[in-house]
Amino acid sequence: MKPICHMISLLAVCSLFLHGSPSAAARIVTDEMGRQLTVPDDPQRIVSFAPSITEIIFALGREDRLKGVSRFSDFPPEARQLPSVGSYISLDLEKIVALKPDLCFATRDGNPKDIVRRLAAFNIPVYAVNPKGLDAVMETIHRIGEVLNAAPKADAIIDQMRTRISRVKRWVAKAHRRPRVFFQIDISPIVSVGTPTLINELIEIAGGINLAKGPTPYPRFSREQVLSLSPDVIIITSMARGGRFEQVKSEWNRWPSVPAVRNHRIVMVDSNLFDRPSPRLAEALEILARLINPDLFEGKE
Amino acid sequence: MSKSPVSGGPESAPATLERPVLLKRLFTVSMLLILFMTATVFFGISIGSTGSGVAETLRTLFDGKGTDDAMHYTIIWRVRFPRVLLAILVGATLSLGGLVFQALLRNPLAEPYILGVSSGSGIGAIIGILAGFSRFPGVSATAFAGSMGTLFLLFVMSSGQTMLKKDTLLLSGVMVNSFCAALIMFLLSITQDSRLHNIMFWLMGDLSTADLYQVGILAIALVPCFVLLLTLSNTMNLLLMGRELAESMGLNIKAATITLLVVTSFMVSFTVSYCGPVGFVGLVMPHVLRLAFGPDHRVLVPACIFGGGTYMVLCDLLARTLPDQGEMPAGVITAIIGVPLFIILLKRSGR
Amino acid sequence: MKHVIHARRLGYSYGDLPVLKDLSFSVQQGDFFIIIGPNGSGKTTLLKCIAGISRPRAGSLEILGVPLQSYSRKSLARSIALVPQTAPADFPFTVTEVVLMGRSPHLGILGVEHEKDLNIARRAMDFTGITSLAHRKLDQLSGGERQRVMIARAICQEPEIILLDEPTASLDLAHQVRIMDLMEKLRDEKRVTILMVSHDINLAALYANSLMLIKGGRMVSIGRPAEVLTFQTLEMAYGCPLLVDKSPLGDFQRVTLVPRKFINPDINRTTRTT
Repeated sequence: MKPICHMISLLAVCSLFLHGSPSAAARIVTDEMGRQLTVPDDPQRIVSFAPSITEIIFALGREDRLKGVSRFSDFPPEARQLPSVGSYISLDLEKIVALKPDLCFATRDGNPKDIVRRLAAFNIPVYAVNPKGLDAVMETIHRIGEVLNAAPKADAIIDQMRTRISRVKRWVAKAHRRPRVFFQIDISPIVSVGTPTLINELIEIAGGINLAKGPTPYPRFSREQVLSLSPDVIIITSMARGGRFEQVKSEWNRWPSVPAVRNHRIVMVDSNLFDRPSPRLAEALEILARLINPDLFEGKE
Repeated sequence: MSKSPVSGGPESAPATLERPVLLKRLFTVSMLLILFMTATVFFGISIGSTGSGVAETLRTLFDGKGTDDAMHYTIIWRVRFPRVLLAILVGATLSLGGLVFQALLRNPLAEPYILGVSSGSGIGAIIGILAGFSRFPGVSATAFAGSMGTLFLLFVMSSGQTMLKKDTLLLSGVMVNSFCAALIMFLLSITQDSRLHNIMFWLMGDLSTADLYQVGILAIALVPCFVLLLTLSNTMNLLLMGRELAESMGLNIKAATITLLVVTSFMVSFTVSYCGPVGFVGLVMPHVLRLAFGPDHRVLVPACIFGGGTYMVLCDLLARTLPDQGEMPAGVITAIIGVPLFIILLKRSGR
Repeated sequence: MKHVIHARRLGYSYGDLPVLKDLSFSVQQGDFFIIIGPNGSGKTTLLKCIAGISRPRAGSLEILGVPLQSYSRKSLARSIALVPQTAPADFPFTVTEVVLMGRSPHLGILGVEHEKDLNIARRAMDFTGITSLAHRKLDQLSGGERQRVMIARAICQEPEIILLDEPTASLDLAHQVRIMDLMEKLRDEKRVTILMVSHDINLAALYANSLMLIKGGRMVSIGRPAEVLTFQTLEMAYGCPLLVDKSPLGDFQRVTLVPRKFINPDINRTTRTT
């Protein structure tokens, strides 16, 4: 009897130390930047500083707790109804504070360190994530799920993503060759994606060869260089907004020596799908696989 | 003081000069502008992105930290107020900077960035942002180093006696500015990621990162400069006479020029390093105030401090509230308001 | 009579170019001392040295018995005032403000003017006859009016000596005389020593009690006008034919330029008499 009482009191004392602040139920977590922060056990008022994080929170079913999002959070469409707290380079401190959040999520790049520091002065914790690759994205989903007490849903999402990715890998394994892919993210100058990017990873998994492979994340090309690379497929993201796609396509069509032009394989994709480290990357991967090896996918879902 | 033959004469014709006017004018102008400033400050803290309300503000100010309005109280004092304070300091510094350079260089087109301060600090800031530093103290420090570097370059280029010739300083400044601007363009062209946006934002002048502690530091550095420039205001009057005449009136041209140059450059660099180069204030405000209050620098120095500060608070307020999403760079507003204001006053004075 | 200015072997050069060489002269208190000479003779440079703006490279200069270097700028400004040839350009102040600036050497840091300063300015403006122009801007005035404003400003410095650099150079006839009369009145009533550089020899002859002729930075002649203004001295200094006779106004020299058409090449020059 007595040793048990001692144990219990010891545990109680220990848990007090572990909890830290004597206020509402809270715990200490470590975010993806290695920072330690105190977050509520069950966050009720969340603000997301990146569109990808918004998508994740909606996917986790925790959108009822989401009180504010960053400006370009447009998926799912319901996200547009939520109050905007500014764009990722210029967050509006006043709006954030007025929403009285108990937890904010930010991505490592793009979000200024200063806002994180200033919010700390208001005792608003900011959890930073760094989804720099497919695996990292899934890790982020898992972690956000943990913090928001939606771990099972997070795992389900991750499982589904994994399933879809493996399926694509299986299909692609049957291909005879790997088509040469040029993925264009900007028009003037022509900019593509290098090895350290998410899109590069997707291209590789989807069975293509990324012609812009290399250490520079966003390398520039002259038209000559692209011509000499002879891409089989040219994929252009919608980041070049407006009717520019037709214009860009017609510019490429002036060079029939390029296989992609000869075979009419110049396509546009939704940049939000490809740039955002969100659960929709699996869908992006499938689309990419289809675009790169269309004959492989005839008749498949 | 030697017994002079001139003043000992008998009283002559009726007086046409008024009683000592300087102090009275100084007082009147200052009070007027301080009043404007207080009103503008009040509007500045009442209006923000989460809604405005003069009534609400008044209530909050007098009721203090009541339970309902605790959030409003926090927003007013911890979010908006530092920003308004920063705007006052920035507006005052830039206006004073323009005033001093216009007197020093005897050129109405002179403005505080004319010696390369803005482009020098721009280069420093870009380097800081690319290196991943946070705005304060990292980027501010690199920006300050950048501006000090360009000033050093400038002094080396126009050293010795030639420095005192106003045109040499001006030309050297233009050269340095052009060179730095080209360098900035180059740095911008090779930056491809999200930091490009951060850089552009900085280059347009950004008051949004105001923080009471940091603004306090800024005030401690700047206010002594303001006071010093006030004591040199008569000197600036004399400088307009031209070198030789001013010297014959007892002014030590070399000491005065160097002091004004150093103090003003430091003041402007310090400010710009913190919030980026806000344009137009330093060029327009001295002219506007001169048209309104006359050319005497002893009145213009306090006018620039209070009037320039008020102007900046106003412009920042508009920059925050006009766009329905986000905010404009303050420099856009200062130009949009400044130009018509100047034209109106110019026409009015021409009549 | 004491020396107010005493120069001993004064020398000055712009870089390698010598401008003043070995100049020695004195100015007495209450003198109307006029420096004349052809262009480029160093007259203005000499004036700047005396005003303390340019530092002599050689020799010594004493003002009121004290070496020039010992003066602080402000104390020198209280003893000597300079009236430049032209008023500063783009000078946006009113006449009153300009005149009051003359009080600077006597004022403290902010330059706040007191009742006494205003009285002095008032009197200076009355003396120079510009009281009616008090609220006009400097650049709205005529050349002669501007000159009088600058003189009023100089008077406010309460100096013992006033230096003037070719004060009548760009003025019309009426103003030329008016300015010179003003200087004379200043000298007579207030006992200020006048030191002037002039290009107009005749005017100089009518007013100066002491003339100094310099050429090429060197002294050619110094003394009363009658002693200095001889045709030999002048012809040598100015390098052109001149006629020197008595002015119809009285015992003053009159110098007349001689156009080529009046010169008879056959007459031996040395037989010409005044």
